[in-house]
Amino acid sequence: MNTLVTLLLQRIRRDRLQLLIWIFGIALLALFSVSAVEKTYGDPAGRQNILQLAVANPSILMLRGTPEGGGLDQFVFFEIFTFIAVLAGLMNTFLSVRHSRAEEESGRAELLAATPAGRTLPTVATIVFGALVNVVNGLFVALAFIAGGLDAKGSFVAGCATAAVGLTFLAVGLFAAQLMRTSRGANGVAAAAVTAAYVIRGIGDALGTPSADHLHMTVAWWSWISPIGWGQQTLAYDANTLTPLLLNLALTAAFLSLVFVLQAQRDSGASLLAGRLGRVAARNSLSSSLGLAWRLQWPTVVGWCVGSAFGGLLTGSLAHAVAGAATADPTVEKVMEGLIPGGTGSLVQLFISAIFVMVGVLAAACATQVIIRMRQEEVAGTAEQVLATRVSRARWLIGYLTVGTVSIVLVLLSGAAASGLSAVAVGDTSARIGDSFAAAAAQLPAALLYLSVLALVFVALPGWTVGLGWTLLGLGTVFGLFGGLVGMPEWIRDISPFTHSPVPIGTSTDWSGGVWMLCIAVVVAILATVGMKRRELNTA
Amino acid sequence: MNTVIEAHGLEKRYGRVRALDGLDLSVDAGEVHGFLGPNGAGKSTTILVLLGLARASGGNATVFGQDPWNDAVELHKRIAYVPGDVSLWPNLSGGEAIDLLSRLRGGTDDKAAYAERKARLIEVFQLDPSKKGRSYSKGNRQKVALVAAFASPADVYILDEPTSGLDPLMEGVFNQEIRRAASLGSTILLSSHILSEVEQLCDRVTIIRAGKTVETGTLAELRHLTRTEVSFARNGLTEADIARIPSVHDLALVNGRARFTVDSDKISSLLPALTELDVKGLRVAPPSLEELFLRHYGDELNPAEASLARSPSRKARRREAAKVASLR
Ligand SMILES: Nc1ncnc2c1ncn2[C@@H]1O[C@H](COP(=O)(O)OP(=O)(O)O)[C@@H](O)[C@H]1O
Ligand SMILES: [Mg+2]
Repeated sequence: MNTLVTLLLQRIRRDRLQLLIWIFGIALLALFSVSAVEKTYGDPAGRQNILQLAVANPSILMLRGTPEGGGLDQFVFFEIFTFIAVLAGLMNTFLSVRHSRAEEESGRAELLAATPAGRTLPTVATIVFGALVNVVNGLFVALAFIAGGLDAKGSFVAGCATAAVGLTFLAVGLFAAQLMRTSRGANGVAAAAVTAAYVIRGIGDALGTPSADHLHMTVAWWSWISPIGWGQQTLAYDANTLTPLLLNLALTAAFLSLVFVLQAQRDSGASLLAGRLGRVAARNSLSSSLGLAWRLQWPTVVGWCVGSAFGGLLTGSLAHAVAGAATADPTVEKVMEGLIPGGTGSLVQLFISAIFVMVGVLAAACATQVIIRMRQEEVAGTAEQVLATRVSRARWLIGYLTVGTVSIVLVLLSGAAASGLSAVAVGDTSARIGDSFAAAAAQLPAALLYLSVLALVFVALPGWTVGLGWTLLGLGTVFGLFGGLVGMPEWIRDISPFTHSPVPIGTSTDWSGGVWMLCIAVVVAILATVGMKRRELNTA
Repeated sequence: MNTVIEAHGLEKRYGRVRALDGLDLSVDAGEVHGFLGPNGAGKSTTILVLLGLARASGGNATVFGQDPWNDAVELHKRIAYVPGDVSLWPNLSGGEAIDLLSRLRGGTDDKAAYAERKARLIEVFQLDPSKKGRSYSKGNRQKVALVAAFASPADVYILDEPTSGLDPLMEGVFNQEIRRAASLGSTILLSSHILSEVEQLCDRVTIIRAGKTVETGTLAELRHLTRTEVSFARNGLTEADIARIPSVHDLALVNGRARFTVDSDKISSLLPALTELDVKGLRVAPPSLEELFLRHYGDELNPAEASLARSPSRKARRREAAKVASLR
């Protein structure tokens, strides 16, 4: 018992800061969403309008969940619970892998196993610790909703649902740690499980049948095979039933038994699935520094493309809804005009442009990561080996610039394609496809500017690449996207490249900002390449 | 004889640190040249300058008569390099890394010959090429880089402390590969901080300290540096007892313990005398560079240099930087 307490305290000491951030972050999200809903949809009639649009729109249902009543409380739960559940799930998978597979991988677990703690007790300690964390997290979520002014009983149910979903993914994480040999692999599998749970309930929600009043929905069976779906089915603030959470507890118990069985049967450090082996020989594509840069970067690029496609999907299907909402509520139009200054097109076109500025930010973020990867290669020492071959420094840099450009184009294209297709799918005219691609093209210059400016930073101030890269992107986003909303002065907004992106709406699109940025990007990229010829390797 | 690598008064400053401070180095075509110095002496820095990855602050260096900074790509066609502390790509298998580096070096034009060399090297170094980079130990990462280096023929091999992570068995394999490459006419620059390691392989050695060359010559010329150190204890030991032992140098008698040096090839002639004396606590050790400096240059490393020698290695600094980077 004493040993268990020691192990428990050790876990608390090690994780306290990290978990505080997670838990406070989740609680703040809950609190913030209440005030946001109050501000945006405070008026019951408007709320009902939106909900009636939502039940008819599969992509909203997929993303958020199903509405269960038109009250403010129910609206908040509909809007935010699935996000909270995903965050709680990820917090738990990271936690359980950190204290299981990561420990084994580092060899620390073996040290512990040799002490009286043995092999099972650390796992028990992790489970107890995780359970405590979930209770605290659930409590904070409930308190945040109550503090926001929602019904106490419903808030308690929502907190319980959060804790139960979290607990399930604690067990999933521990199970993944038994399967995989590396903590990276275990984290990947467990996070994929969280994503799958979210997507599966999304399918069930999207395929659900709306009630006669269009304020409730009966979900399809898919939602009943997802731990997050069970959390939603507590119908907090509506029916307030805790019974679906028994499914969470049962699944948790099942995974935990599997964990103990597997752990008793295997050697320390071993895993159910052997570590993934690589190819014995390289493919033909891996024969240049460009090929290498692409090989290192493509998984990340795919990630950004998926994000951008999600954004696009939303745009295409929401544009329709926005048009409807705007006729009902003139404030929507105001918000839109704040987002996109100087636009003259229809509201739907404005909306598409506004969302595509965000897709542009995603593309710029993807480019930022490409340059950061180059810096990481330099610091790790792998670049040294590449540059000791026939690859010149300039060619090495150009390889990354090429990968960066291709990535930007791919991210923009996947956003445009998803947006165009989803618009047509919800019955918009096919002209929307053209609008989407034009909006995506308009974002190309700003993203390219980010790519080449950061490349120049990498050449001139290598040690600053990572820090400055994200800072520049963050500032540009805040100034360019939200500057208009919060009334920042014109000159501050003008600092951001995104402010100068063309707004391809109507007949009189002004492309000059884009052309200028394109020219600057090219000049800066040339400067970076020339500078690279004169720069030493810098590993410090 | 042609000189392949030539450096005169080479200087390299990193801020206020003088990593190289007037270093001279000359390596002839076809020789195996040992490049020796304690940690922090400037071996890796010299190599980076010779590869054109760092730019000298003063002095001059040439490889095949060309300037490594300006003609780097041209030169790299003829050079194979193994860094001091090999890092690999976490996601690429060892086999992929070997293929990639060989292709970038241009050594795979003759596909069949390359495949054969690669297979043979993987076999002799007992490397598992299917493991991912992140799961190799230091020694295995080193093997990957060595296989990649030897898998494509090069005119010069520049190897920075290549055996530091290898076990003795693999050191034997490594020595064989060096001899094989040398017999094919390649020039080899082999850095190390352990004298005995290069002794068996090298035709000539250059010894540096604190960025300066202190000795250079053939092993025969440096014989006085490479004597083995012998020490033992025996009650009532006198100078006369030791006088009976043949070929003793640098004798010292302290607290009944004798300490002296012997030419390394004369050790066996020592043994009968030692048996006769019935010595206890016999210790026979090749001289370390540190002892050698102590003995021949009459001084301890001065405090500033000692702290330099202990200052974190390039790799350790890199690790720090990587950590910082990942935190951001
Ligand atoms: N990039 C760098 N920045 C600052 N100091 C460096 C850098 N590279 C090497 N040094 C310093 O130069 C000296 C020589 O280092 P190095 O060439 O790595 O020695 P060796 O390879 O002989 O151990 C050391 O004092 C080291 O700390
Ligand atoms: Mg070194």
